[in-house]
Amino acid sequence: MIRFVDVKKTYLNGVQALKGINLEIHDGEFVAIIGLSGAGKSTLLRSINKMIDITEGELYIDDVEISSIKGKELRMLRRSIGMIFQSFNLVRRMSVFNNVISGRVAYHSTFKTLIGRFPAQEKILALESLEAMGILDKAFARADQLSGGQQQRVALARALTQQPKLILADEPVASLDPITTIQVMDDFAKINKEFGITIIANMHHVDLALKYANRIIGVKDGLVVFDGKSTDITEDILVNIYGRTLKHDEVLGE
Amino acid sequence: MTNVQQTYLKIPKRWKINLIFSIAMLVALIYSFAGSEINILRLSSVFYSFKYMILAYTKINWDLVLGMGIYPFSDGVVYMALETLAMAFFGTLLGGILAIPLGFLSSETVGGKTGSRIGSAVLVLIRVFPEIILAVVLLKGFGINSMTCVMAIGIHSVGMLGKLFAEAIDNMDKLPLEALDAVGANRWQKIRFGILPQIAADFSSVTLYRLDINVRSASVLGIVAAGGFGAMLSYASAPENQSVLAALMVVIVPMILIMDAISGYLRGKLI
Amino acid sequence: MTRFTLTSGKVIVKPFNKIWIVLFVILIIVVVLGQYIYFPEYLTLAEIWPFLKKMFSPRNDIFGHRTWGDYFNYIFTIIPYYLLKTIKMSIGGTVIGSAIALPFSVLAAKNVFKNKWITSPFRFIMNIIRTIPAAVMVIVAVFIVGTGNLAGIIGFSLFSFGIMAKMLYEVIETSDMNSFEALESTGANKTQAFRYALLPQIFPIFISYLIYVFEINIRASALLAFVGVESIGSIIQVGLDGGDFDYIGGVVIVLTFVIIIIQLFSNWIRGKLQ
Repeated sequence: MIRFVDVKKTYLNGVQALKGINLEIHDGEFVAIIGLSGAGKSTLLRSINKMIDITEGELYIDDVEISSIKGKELRMLRRSIGMIFQSFNLVRRMSVFNNVISGRVAYHSTFKTLIGRFPAQEKILALESLEAMGILDKAFARADQLSGGQQQRVALARALTQQPKLILADEPVASLDPITTIQVMDDFAKINKEFGITIIANMHHVDLALKYANRIIGVKDGLVVFDGKSTDITEDILVNIYGRTLKHDEVLGE
Repeated sequence: MTNVQQTYLKIPKRWKINLIFSIAMLVALIYSFAGSEINILRLSSVFYSFKYMILAYTKINWDLVLGMGIYPFSDGVVYMALETLAMAFFGTLLGGILAIPLGFLSSETVGGKTGSRIGSAVLVLIRVFPEIILAVVLLKGFGINSMTCVMAIGIHSVGMLGKLFAEAIDNMDKLPLEALDAVGANRWQKIRFGILPQIAADFSSVTLYRLDINVRSASVLGIVAAGGFGAMLSYASAPENQSVLAALMVVIVPMILIMDAISGYLRGKLI
Repeated sequence: MTRFTLTSGKVIVKPFNKIWIVLFVILIIVVVLGQYIYFPEYLTLAEIWPFLKKMFSPRNDIFGHRTWGDYFNYIFTIIPYYLLKTIKMSIGGTVIGSAIALPFSVLAAKNVFKNKWITSPFRFIMNIIRTIPAAVMVIVAVFIVGTGNLAGIIGFSLFSFGIMAKMLYEVIETSDMNSFEALESTGANKTQAFRYALLPQIFPIFISYLIYVFEINIRASALLAFVGVESIGSIIQVGLDGGDFDYIGGVVIVLTFVIIIIQLFSNWIRGKLQ
């Protein structure tokens, strides 16, 4: 369970990205965060695994206050949280398999990982993650030889190999074409249902968010302005979140 | 067997390659030490050598550095630094000027297939020879003086710069050349209006970088061909002359740092 | 500045071309530095050709009478001995210097360590070491450990470190940091993130730099003889003193071959690592 208590974030340049967030996210939920770019979606998401440090308030993960943890404790926290990026963030010249197994490095000592050997069961785990994402046959191809959708699945497999209880996705499909977008979102849904992993995703496409997520959080100017079931969303609520009607590129449109 | 198990068997054994690579490196390293006459007596005195060396920097003969007192200015280390800079500068200038026609010739854009082959071959031939070899040969023609170093640096720079110039020409945007073709420009007009404006910045940047390298070569080339710090460096290579080495170091290090900074600044301006 | 008047009566001012300023500055430097260059009163360019002939044919005068057999015998028996010493020192220096440069260059990279207090001291050390030419490094090493291979290895290690560290941190700073961020998000520490996100990116470049540094060391090693360390340059030194120019010619032939082989090897391995 994740609990935000009056969380604020002010950047060094004075920009106030989060102005007092109060939230509770329960295990097994599929949460989509929507809002204009610059509303604080990314900051909200990245504060959960402390890729960004919050400046005020309290943030609990499983009743542990995380804003003050660092070093080994922080790395243990991050180990239990998978993260998916808009630009996949794979090592492009490395093989798919090596990219996926690199999700395990935090489970080992620095010295062991320098050599680059992993236990057999972890290699099996990596391959099973690839199979779950349907790209086992690409295991030994170089990551940059894959299409965008395939690369995002490799990233998902890497996150799965971490055996996380939570996956954060920062605009996971924003650089994909409509067809692969659907496939990758189906993978997210599968991970959420079959593995029971909580998913929190920033979504640019509102219709996708409504279709896949069971909970929507609308963010505007660093504050939560809507929090509820995706079925409760109405046109008026969207106009409130976006301050205007949706633009053409904010719906995928099938 | 499931797909996962089948794929598992196919995981490349990268660590074996890594191991072989590491062992090869280690063997090369150990081999390089083989036969090094390591003198235990000498090693035991390393600490004192260090102390003596550091001490030398506290007792620098500033008259010698600046060329004052009993030393005429032309015997001072500062004078040698100026001479070194002059050697590097004129060498780079000579190399830069000569490299322009050779660079054009060996680029495919201007020289064509035949021209680029001939030009590249000439440049490779020049590049192969270390500057010290060039200096030894040129010694006969220019005598034991700084001019020999200028020529050696110049000729070596032609090889290096010519290659980089040719690459710059081949990598530039070719569309303006088509436009010039369309207005009926001849070869020389195309070079003047289509190529030169595009590559001037690249050429200057590469040449400035070469100047950095040449200042370093000019600092030591004098050991063979006279000029710059050469004679004094030979003298300072005797262990008892640490104080002279210290006097040289306090000039060489700042000189190269300043030159690096200037050329880095100018190169930054060019981009 | 030039003014143009168009037929329509409009006046256009062409700005002053900066090239004249650049040429003027160069001219000033030429005049200033020109007085520090020695211009020989008479050149003996005609002597270069006979000298080259002496280099590439067996010595044949009252002090030495050698045949082509002696010439090639020298190339294949004596020179390899000195070449081996040179190669040993270059390998040792390249490997040790580059191995130390790898962690240093990471510590100096601003994209890995955002804290200036970490990167600045390492940058400072690297910049200072980088200014010192190989021959000077070796002079220092000779003073500390005495003449011999060891001094050459130590001097070349420091020299290689300077070149390699600078080139490497520039590569690291232009590397793709997205994967580094991803590794950190999985809980990897900086060392692990470097090993899995950056090292795969820079490794091929590191290898080609390794060969490049090795070549620079081979070239620089000819000078070592003049500061007291036995190397292939010893033959040049002795040859110049004793008039055995054919031996120098032999060195030129051997060095040329070695450098060509290194460059061919470098091209081959670069193709392999793509």
